[in-house]
Amino acid sequence: MIRVGLIVNPIAGMGGSVGLKGTDGEAYKKAVELGAKPVSSIRVRDVFSLIRRKDILFFVAPGIMGEDYVKGTGFKYEIVGHVGEKTSAEDTKRIAKEMMEEKIDLLIFVGGDGTARDIADSIDLRIPVLAVPSGVKMFSSVFTLSPHAAANIIDSFNKETPLTEREVMDIDEDAFRENRLAARLYSYLRVPRIEPLLQASKEASSVGKSEEAQKREIADYIVENMENDFVYFLGPGTTVKAIADRIGVEKTLLGIDAVYNGRLIGKDLNEKGLLKIIDTYGKAEIIITPIGGNGFIFGRGSKQFTPKVLEKIGKENIIVVGTKAKVLKLECLRVDTGDADVDRMLSGPVKVVAGYKEEVIMEVRA
Amino acid sequence: MIRLDLNENPYSPPKEVIDEAKKGLSEVRRYCDPKYLEELRNLIEEYTKIPKDKIVVSPGSDIILREMIHEFSIDREVITVNPSFFPALECAKRHARKLVRFQLTPPEFRLNSEVLMQEIRDPSLIIIDNPNNPTGVEVLDRDLIIKILENTNSLLLVDEAYYEFSLKTSSGLINDFDNLAITRTLDKGFSLAGLRVGYLLAGEKFREGLSDFITFLPRPSVYAAITALKNRDYMRENVEKIIRERKRLMNELKELGIEAFPSSTNFILIRSDVVGLSGRLRSKGIAIKDLSREWIPGYYRISIGLPEENDLLLKSLKELLNKES
Repeated sequence: MIRVGLIVNPIAGMGGSVGLKGTDGEAYKKAVELGAKPVSSIRVRDVFSLIRRKDILFFVAPGIMGEDYVKGTGFKYEIVGHVGEKTSAEDTKRIAKEMMEEKIDLLIFVGGDGTARDIADSIDLRIPVLAVPSGVKMFSSVFTLSPHAAANIIDSFNKETPLTEREVMDIDEDAFRENRLAARLYSYLRVPRIEPLLQASKEASSVGKSEEAQKREIADYIVENMENDFVYFLGPGTTVKAIADRIGVEKTLLGIDAVYNGRLIGKDLNEKGLLKIIDTYGKAEIIITPIGGNGFIFGRGSKQFTPKVLEKIGKENIIVVGTKAKVLKLECLRVDTGDADVDRMLSGPVKVVAGYKEEVIMEVRA
Repeated sequence: MIRLDLNENPYSPPKEVIDEAKKGLSEVRRYCDPKYLEELRNLIEEYTKIPKDKIVVSPGSDIILREMIHEFSIDREVITVNPSFFPALECAKRHARKLVRFQLTPPEFRLNSEVLMQEIRDPSLIIIDNPNNPTGVEVLDRDLIIKILENTNSLLLVDEAYYEFSLKTSSGLINDFDNLAITRTLDKGFSLAGLRVGYLLAGEKFREGLSDFITFLPRPSVYAAITALKNRDYMRENVEKIIRERKRLMNELKELGIEAFPSSTNFILIRSDVVGLSGRLRSKGIAIKDLSREWIPGYYRISIGLPEENDLLLKSLKELLNKES
């Protein structure tokens, strides 16, 4: 029997059909006035209709936040927490924490980027999540592709299922409504890593080993080729963290750290800190990994690398790393630094270190 | 299940080919007599116009590709494109200087030849399928092939599994360049996928390293391949039928609003936003190849089936699209 939590954001996705690009804050009221219909309930019912296994004990949020969709499906369930008449992000956060205390093996949540952030705020990386998309903004790469994919994962999930980190993005909804995409890397959540059903095939796959093993390979290769008397700025993300682990320094997961001759010389640096180090040491290289799904290397996940910093470093001193599981799924790498000249400088073909002695040639587009 | 996921030929070979395979089966307690292997190589020589001493037969082209990758990746940079489905690349990394993949991206799936030419300044083994599976695109043109071959540091291995459909080949260059090798197969155009018969056309530099490659094939495979190569008309007719169907399918997919990319093979690459497309088609009894494991999500490869199979595919796609909207 596996213990599975379920939290549904009942209003996620309602802004989409009425053109509101989200239901954060006051926008929800407007969506209802405009006649928006609930989307989450359809998504979650789709998933439930496709689950084949029966050995699940559900821990569900009350009412429209969970209970309503499990009732009558034949699954055993327990209700966790309380909610008032109107539900809110605070309910999501509180109930997610309570579910952790119930020792759930997997937490399913239905919503968009906002819901993902609430979940990331409340649970740590130990509990895997299954994020079912129903929001308007889904720039985070935690989301599964479809209810079919979600049901497949639930069916095949067990306590030994390998897990992998995915990005949770923070999109400024007001800016998004004005057609500006202002996004930053907010956090990470762990998701079950279940590949599409393996069919017997004569065709070899280019993806190869597990994602964790690929990260270790990348770290080994990078560290073996690191030069002495050179500063390396380590960008955010778990792939770069594997490099820090290999060096033996502690990494700020969402920030930028600097290492020099195997020592940490700067932690969670901002533009000013980065520029100061460049001035002091004369030269530096950036090690950066793209954001899964959209391929941004600069301008989304690591805004501390400002145009000024990037100009000083130069394209030739940027090392892009990424697992094959991530980079081979990208059309291109992207930059949006806010400075057209710097974007141009960064554009064109680039080598991505994707494993030990392994590179992928990709295009950087502005 | 309608299998449109493996790029097989939907048409069976003619009765005489099947009968020969059966004859081989009836003699199955015996190894294949070398004289039949010799006859097979003679026929390949006649078919490809490449001298027999440059031809190596193999139980399927994958086996010889694997052998070549192991043998010729040592101390070289191995260069290929993604997506593609070559075997043994992961193992090759142990002996290779490094493995470099060029990511092909829509809409043109172009190989960046400037970067490629820079990469091959060091000793390299370049392995490329032309046309490429699964994009259907000719990644290498003749000029680029010659430019690569003129660099004597590099070895170029071109997989022409879909030659019978594209009718484009670099085989004519083998006599001039000893650093070129080409693999072909009777799996696709000749409808013999289940018998696994492949061959290699190899320039001198490659042949040296293959001296101990075992070119022993099963009797049914050799008998059927000999008869197939003697009766090439059936292959031509089937290939023409498949190309006609490919054109029809291409038009109809476009009419459905599905992005479909031009192909010179027996399959079509499509892009679709319908979530879980391959799973949903599978539940309707149709298998297509979902490429999201090794490449960009939303891309699928569809092999050309029989007209009635293609009709069923179109009908199912139409239903799915209506449901979505």
